[in-house]
Amino acid sequence: MNLYEHTIIAKQDVSASDIKKLTEKYSKIVEKNDGNIVKTENWGLLKLSYTIKKNKKGNYIHFKIKGASKIIGQLEKDEKIDEKLLRYMTVKVKKFDLQTNYFSKQEDGVEIDNKKTAKKL
Amino acid sequence: MVKKKIGNKKNRKSNFARLSIFQPNKYSFKRKCPLSGKSAPIVDYKNIKLLKKYVSENGKILPSRITNVSQKKQRELSLSIKRARNLALI
Repeated sequence: MNLYEHTIIAKQDVSASDIKKLTEKYSKIVEKNDGNIVKTENWGLLKLSYTIKKNKKGNYIHFKIKGASKIIGQLEKDEKIDEKLLRYMTVKVKKFDLQTNYFSKQEDGVEIDNKKTAKKL
Repeated sequence: MVKKKIGNKKNRKSNFARLSIFQPNKYSFKRKCPLSGKSAPIVDYKNIKLLKKYVSENGKILPSRITNVSQKKQRELSLSIKRARNLALI
């Protein structure tokens, strides 16, 4: 069993209900192959730093998956064909960091506080 | 006070001549690596605020001789910057 972090970027004009369908679609694939989704994060509509296929913004969805390596093969096979997606990326990690959220607005304040304390030290 | 007056001529001339081996080296100019140590931030491709500090205005990765990052952490940094680039975060 391995731990994976999997992110996909959907196009900017995809509706909110379609994003839910996308997350359900790919989480079903994981469950079919005896995988386990530890956490799903929706980072929301973020500005891309460069345009991808004439898109300036993108919807980011982030999965934390526990399972065998064949799951990733199945996922990426489907994502290659998917027209609603711009990019996908998987990273194999040794440990999940479930505490820090880098893309939610509430956590921004906490991050700044951490930096302040770091400077003092 | 008395000791200072007695001290030889070399001591009076400059501040650095008074330094001995047993004093704490306050005057060394080497900075420590900002990413290693106990209270260091985590290097990760999602931590964009941190990664942006180590990237030039044109988006190039800054060399470690400027930022004083250790070898091990520089390798981590460059990997995570490249991952963030792929996701169009940087």
